[in-house]
Amino acid sequence: MRVRRKGELLRVDFHPSEVELLGVLLDDLESLLAGLDTDDPVVQRLFPDGYTDDAGASAEFASLVAGDLRDDRAARIGACRAELPPRGGQVSLDAEAADRWIRVINDLRLSVGTRIGVTEEDELDPTDQAAALYHWLSATQEILVEHLMA
Amino acid sequence: MANAPTVTPQRQSEIEEIVESELDPDRPWVTVVWNDPVNLMSYVTHVFMKVFGYPKDKATSLMLDVHHKGRAIVSSGPRERMESDTATLHGYGLWATVQRDS
Repeated sequence: MRVRRKGELLRVDFHPSEVELLGVLLDDLESLLAGLDTDDPVVQRLFPDGYTDDAGASAEFASLVAGDLRDDRAARIGACRAELPPRGGQVSLDAEAADRWIRVINDLRLSVGTRIGVTEEDELDPTDQAAALYHWLSATQEILVEHLMA
Repeated sequence: MANAPTVTPQRQSEIEEIVESELDPDRPWVTVVWNDPVNLMSYVTHVFMKVFGYPKDKATSLMLDVHHKGRAIVSSGPRERMESDTATLHGYGLWATVQRDS
């Protein structure tokens, strides 16, 4: 992926293999959101408790916000998928679209990071495929954020 | 908070809320963001700028507090607004909670 800034727009070049990979990841995340299994650690990470010390208030908070949070996540996934150039190529993103993309990529990082048990202390095994995927998502997000904040 | 509203009879909870607000007029609610191993420092800074409209230096300083101290208070005010801020931050994948200012 290559990112350049042109005025207010970010021009993002996707390699065909990146489009394919992102498509699979977006599908997986979408299924996870549709099922919303609250025993799944990824779901717990995407929808954390609203209170640390009050289970009743947390439950009430979740009943108020979880549905909207899930629908908004699904809508962002759908919008990003629709923008992916099917055979690779360039996409122009304004600030709002770029913000949406880095949020979706962040959800993917949280999902993969939770599955592989990322911690602050331990280095990931560089030969592990999921770790490589996680690093690629991190680098992709970092470059988009950098260009957006520049 | 002393009681969860769901298990407290309606009238009693109303009385308690009034008493609480009379006793603690200067203690608003706060939104706390906790450190986590996944969210990138640049991303967290971006989120604070975007969600709260904080200038880059303030957003960066809050992000560094989260990173080094394990948590930071990112907004304060009425409970409903803190729940709204917390929900917005959850939408960005940050680990945020609501609590009474202490």
